[in-house]
Amino acid sequence: MKTYLRYAFAALLAGLALVGCGQSQPPAAPPGADRPLTFGVSFETLQTEYWIAGMDAIKAELSRRNIKLLAAIADGDANRQYEQVRNFITRKVDGIILVPKDAKTCLPMIKAAHTAGIPIVLFNRPCDPIDGFTPVAVVADNVALTRETVASLVERAQVGGGRHRAMVILGDLGDVNAVGRRDGFEAALKGREAVVEVVARVPSEWNQEKAQAGVVNALQAHPDIDFIFTSSDFLLPSIVSALKAAGKYHRTGETGHVWLAGFDGDATAYRLLTEGYLDATGVQDVYFEARQTVEAVLDLRAGKSLPGTILDPGFVISQANLQERAPRMWGAQVKKAP
Amino acid sequence: MNRPGARLLRGALNQASLILFALVFAGFGSLSAKFLSPANLLNILLQSAPTVIVAVGMTFVLLTGGVDLSVGAVMFVGAALAGKAAPGGAGPAAAVGLMLAAGALLGLGNGFLVARLKVIPFVVTLAVMSIGRGFGLWLTETRALNLSNEFLQVGAARVLGVPVPVLLAGAVLVAATVVLGATPFGRQLYAVGQNAAAARRAGVNTRRILLIAYVLSGVCAGLGGFLSLAQLGAVSSKFGENYEFKAIAAAVLGGASLQGGRGRIFPGALLGATLIQAVENGLVILNADPYLYPLVTSAVIFLAVLVDATRTSLLAESHRRQIRVEP
Repeated sequence: MKTYLRYAFAALLAGLALVGCGQSQPPAAPPGADRPLTFGVSFETLQTEYWIAGMDAIKAELSRRNIKLLAAIADGDANRQYEQVRNFITRKVDGIILVPKDAKTCLPMIKAAHTAGIPIVLFNRPCDPIDGFTPVAVVADNVALTRETVASLVERAQVGGGRHRAMVILGDLGDVNAVGRRDGFEAALKGREAVVEVVARVPSEWNQEKAQAGVVNALQAHPDIDFIFTSSDFLLPSIVSALKAAGKYHRTGETGHVWLAGFDGDATAYRLLTEGYLDATGVQDVYFEARQTVEAVLDLRAGKSLPGTILDPGFVISQANLQERAPRMWGAQVKKAP
Repeated sequence: MNRPGARLLRGALNQASLILFALVFAGFGSLSAKFLSPANLLNILLQSAPTVIVAVGMTFVLLTGGVDLSVGAVMFVGAALAGKAAPGGAGPAAAVGLMLAAGALLGLGNGFLVARLKVIPFVVTLAVMSIGRGFGLWLTETRALNLSNEFLQVGAARVLGVPVPVLLAGAVLVAATVVLGATPFGRQLYAVGQNAAAARRAGVNTRRILLIAYVLSGVCAGLGGFLSLAQLGAVSSKFGENYEFKAIAAAVLGGASLQGGRGRIFPGALLGATLIQAVENGLVILNADPYLYPLVTSAVIFLAVLVDATRTSLLAESHRRQIRVEP
């Protein structure tokens, strides 16, 4: 009896774990010529506010166009995401939108969709070329937008004169977006070494605790750091906590202010901009990306030829243009961070 | 095995954590004088405090021959509860209560399934990790929860110049060392880890020991999570992520065996946790290439596991009965 009970509990645990991580699938649309279109949308994760905002924007765009949605979340598991795409194909969806884990693991998914003749478009994360062809991806121009954001910060910082000592918080170096932002940061400072010297490069692996420890360590080693760029606004709380502990958390214009810029445009960034602690952030236009992604799938269905990469130029928001640009900043629209 | 060389090797292997610790500190210290400054050493201790506490709990479980993969998720669930309660006026005191309670409850669940239903610890704690992460995500709706300054004040508070998190970690170390070294429970824990069947035959209530070990691990994860929260002042969906590996690595670096039955809280868990933090701290101070971080950290952990395996094998050999055939 105890053995049966044990097996029953093990099965229950396994079941719960699978249900907790699995995909939600409403019934498939009935076949017919006038049936509404159905798109399968698989996100690698929903573990940041950006992905939540992205999913919400895609849902709204599909709903606006009367397209049905099959949603699936892979929880960081590329194999699970492959099964989800296969599932979409089996259910004969009319298009697939994918946020892959990285640029490599998406290759078999794209191959499978192509073999089945189903258009597939990547949202916010590109995939490597496959058999000489680049899968269509709608992505933020990470390099250019970061370069523009950091350059705007340098321009403001150099007004006061002197040489600034900088720290950059890097994302997961296996993520093409993180690498793009790092390259954009380096590009912005190239030729400006006399104004800004990079003394600390802190890897965060997109983890707030790791970032906080790294920023504290860097401030310990270089107490004169007065210029910080974070590869994601998601890491701003880590920086704020470390700056507070070091007694360096001051508003723009106050003595001892540390020039601070980020990337993404989330709710925390919006709050810090309004409070005067954050100087600038590069905003990914999530609504533009969602609209372009859905349009791209429809265009591919219609047999149109598209470029491999559709760029979201994004925009830089600062305290100076906050009022004007906040309506386009997704972080200003989502539920406010307390 | 009784040759002086072998004795020396065994002695070195038994003190491997201390030797590794000294090498890392000497290495970074020679490359940058800032690394060994008192302020930075205190900083390393402060940052290690949550890991020390979680590693103490993990050591209890490892001593039984089990493992607790759910500690990171326990930290996240507790932090999510504290984060949700904060806007309603719940301060750090309420948060620590919530986080300890969440840790105890999830630890009890782990312990019940492992001890009573004999499900493999790896499977149980993996499932609880998954369920806990899912529950925390549901609770926070994947929104970042920024906490009030009160939390950061706790994290930055000092008593006689020593940060409160360091004092708390020290208190946990002392308490756990006493429990392991001077109580029947401690002795029984080692006995269960070394040979559960023999311990049962000797009258040890192995189920109770296992249950308590997992509850202690959960409580330590809750407390470690609180200290981490007090230093960060925010809860994100990745809070506590991969902490299980950090805690296991710290415990193993400190000399706890993955085979069970061997390991010490002091200085073991303290050495292990500060060693991991010191490596990351040293790399930042040197402004090392970010690609080197995982390589160097993994190399240190790999070295520790290798030493553990070698030590286990050598000890097994030395305990083997020596039969000499007379000519």
